[in-house]
This record gives sequence, structure tokens and C-alpha cells, in this order.
Amino acid sequence: MSTHADWADSAAAYVLGALPPEELDGFQEHLAGCPDCRRAIEELRVAADALPMGTHQLAPPPALKGRIMAVVESEAELLGAAGAGADRVPEKAPRRKERRAWWARPGFALAAVALALAAGVLGGGLLAGDDTRTIAATMEPDGSDVSLEVRGETGTLVVRDMPPPPEGRIYQVWVKRPGQDPAPTDALWSVNAQGDAQVAVPGSLDGVEAVLVTDEPPGGSQAPTTTPVIQASPA
Amino acid sequence: MADDLRTLADEDLMQLVRRGQAPAFEVLYERHAQVAFSLAYRIAGTRGVAEDVVQEAFLALWRSGARYDRRRGSVRTWVLGIVHNRAIDALRRAHVHEKRRASDEGLEDRLETTERTDVEAARHEEAATVRRALDDLPAEQCQVIELAYFGGFTHTEIADMLETPVGTIKGRMRLGLEKMRHALGAGQVSLG
Repeated sequence: MSTHADWADSAAAYVLGALPPEELDGFQEHLAGCPDCRRAIEELRVAADALPMGTHQLAPPPALKGRIMAVVESEAELLGAAGAGADRVPEKAPRRKERRAWWARPGFALAAVALALAAGVLGGGLLAGDDTRTIAATMEPDGSDVSLEVRGETGTLVVRDMPPPPEGRIYQVWVKRPGQDPAPTDALWSVNAQGDAQVAVPGSLDGVEAVLVTDEPPGGSQAPTTTPVIQASPA
Repeated sequence: MADDLRTLADEDLMQLVRRGQAPAFEVLYERHAQVAFSLAYRIAGTRGVAEDVVQEAFLALWRSGARYDRRRGSVRTWVLGIVHNRAIDALRRAHVHEKRRASDEGLEDRLETTERTDVEAARHEEAATVRRALDDLPAEQCQVIELAYFGGFTHTEIADMLETPVGTIKGRMRLGLEKMRHALGAGQVSLG
């Protein structure tokens, strides 16, 4: 069993983040039962915590604040819409590989047609209200519960158990009409802590072949920069 | 933005951030972004990585504010802890570590000469006090503290680099931090 003498000089390395991984667990275990080391850490941390202020002070670029606030305000709006019970999104999210011009691939049109056929079948059996159709949507990667609720010419995406967008990114809704590239919308959003969200699709769904969601930089994009994580056909 | 928010303490702003109030977050960003960016830049050495690190850290504060526990330190300390960890991670990912290992002297040279013109604000008294406390340390103590904190090296790596026993390196770290703490106490540096 290790003694205080074994660890006496480790407190400084600990507060500087300089203990090697193979020593870290042992020191933390020792710390739990050693008031002397806890006191030493408390004292030394005063100096370690001051180190950032000893650097040359550089003003961050204004654009950085703009990017951060765009994400924050988008998420605040979503949280507000979700109500007081909504919580924060989880911090970590897997980053997806970027691909280009997926909507131009032959496979996309086929998938959209298949989706439309499936939606037609499902739409008949999943009437959620007098004039509301609930259409199953595809999710990539699979594992979430996503649907498009269509009422007249308007639609709302309803997602459950969906991971948040990668850090520094935000989800954006697109609408695709036959023979055209996906058109951007201003629907920028994330999910709450449970992975849930309801997102109104801006504009009319008349003539829309597919509603898509990609993750994009804060503020959104004019053309998709990643493959869709959600595809739903309102037809 | 309501001016009222600017009069609130960080801990009170965090309560509002937890409730999803973006203006409260904006005040926190304005208070701490400069020191966060400076720290990230000091560690990472490039503006682009520093911006990414600061963005990640502040979004973590926004999204994970519920994890903040005021009993464990100030909001500034918490944010800077995130910045420090992520900047060190980025540094290691970039393999800059190996380049630095070749010459610990290059650390200070690189940081002192890169984009010097970007210094936009004079160091205020608090920063000057901390810098003086560091500068007043014996060179070998200042060196190990900077290599550990800003360079992300472990005490064993520093011992190898300087061809000095690990026990000596750990002792220099302890002595250096103790002296700094006393100097900061005399200079009345606020860490909030």
C-alpha cells in the first residue's frame, strides 16, 4: 500500500496536469484518504489556476463570437419552444464524414421514389388526426424514431432518440423538388437532452419530393455539405 | 442585451444559462473569451486551432452548464480548465509534441514571435502580476511549469527531455507553484 511519502511531491504535477496516466489513478486513490495532499492541492491550485492570466492577452476575432452565438441562439430558441422541461443537448456527438453532391447521385432518386412509395402505404395507415398524415422517415445512422407529420401543405419533423449534431454544427432542414438541388431553409435546430425535437418545415410542401436534414456549420449553408441524416417524402 | 445582466456575478449568470438564456451566456462569453482565447493560442500556437478550442469550450459551457459546481471553483476556472484540456488534446493530436521534444527552448521562441501583431490589448494589472510571479521564479522552476501546463508534457517526459531525475522535476514544480502562490497573494490577484 502506498504511503503519503510516495506521493508527497505529486500534488504539483497533478494540478499542472502533468501526472502520467499510469500514476493518475493511484494518486487520486491516495488523495481520497489523505487530507495533507488535498490541502496541498488546494493551495497549489491557486497558482496553477492563475497561469492562463499570465499569457499575452489576445482579443478573439469578432467572427468567433458570431459563430458561437449563432449556435447558442438557435438552441435557445429550440429550448424555448420545447418548454421548461427541456434540457441541454449532450456535449459529445460523433462527427460524420463529409461527402459531396449526394443528391446528384443516381441512388438518391431511387431512394426518394422508394421512400415515396413507402410513405404512401404508411400514410394511409398512420393517420394521426383528421387531416394529419404521419410519414415514416429514414434516419442515417439508423436507431432513431423520425417521422414527418403533414397537415395540408405544411409539415413538421418529429424526432426521438436522435443524437445531437457534432460539436460546432447544427442541423438544417432542406426541401428537394424533382430535378432540382435541395433548397436551403432557415430551420436550424438541435435536439434536447433526450434526443427529441419537433421542427416545422418552412414553406409549402406542395411539389416537394423530399424533406432532408444535414448537419451544417452555425448559421446554416446554401448547399448541403454533408449527407442527409434524415430523409422523408411528403408525397 | 439587458444592461442588468452585466451587473450579475458569473455564478448568477450560470443560473440563467442553465435555463437556456442566451443573453446571460453572451455576458459570460464577453467576460472570459479573451483569456480563454489567449490560453488556447498560447498552447496550440495557431489561431485556427485556438478558435476551435474556444468555440468547443464555450459551447460546452452553454450545453453542460448544469455540471458546473460553484463549490469546485469559479466559472472562469471551469471554462479555462476546459480550454486547457482541449487545447492540450489538440496539441497532441497535431503531433506538435514531437517537434517540441527536440528543443524545449523553441517553445518560448515560437510563442513569442508568432503573430505578435495580434496583441490587441495591453496586459492589465492582474495579468502583469501573474507574469511577474512567473518571471521571478528560478528559470528551472519556470521551465518545468511552462512545459507541463502550456506544453502538455508529463513529469516523466520532462525528466527525459531535460535528462534530470523525475524527483527533481516534481520538486521544481512544487517549489515553483508555492512561490507563485505567495507572490500572487502579495499581489492580490483575483482568480474569479
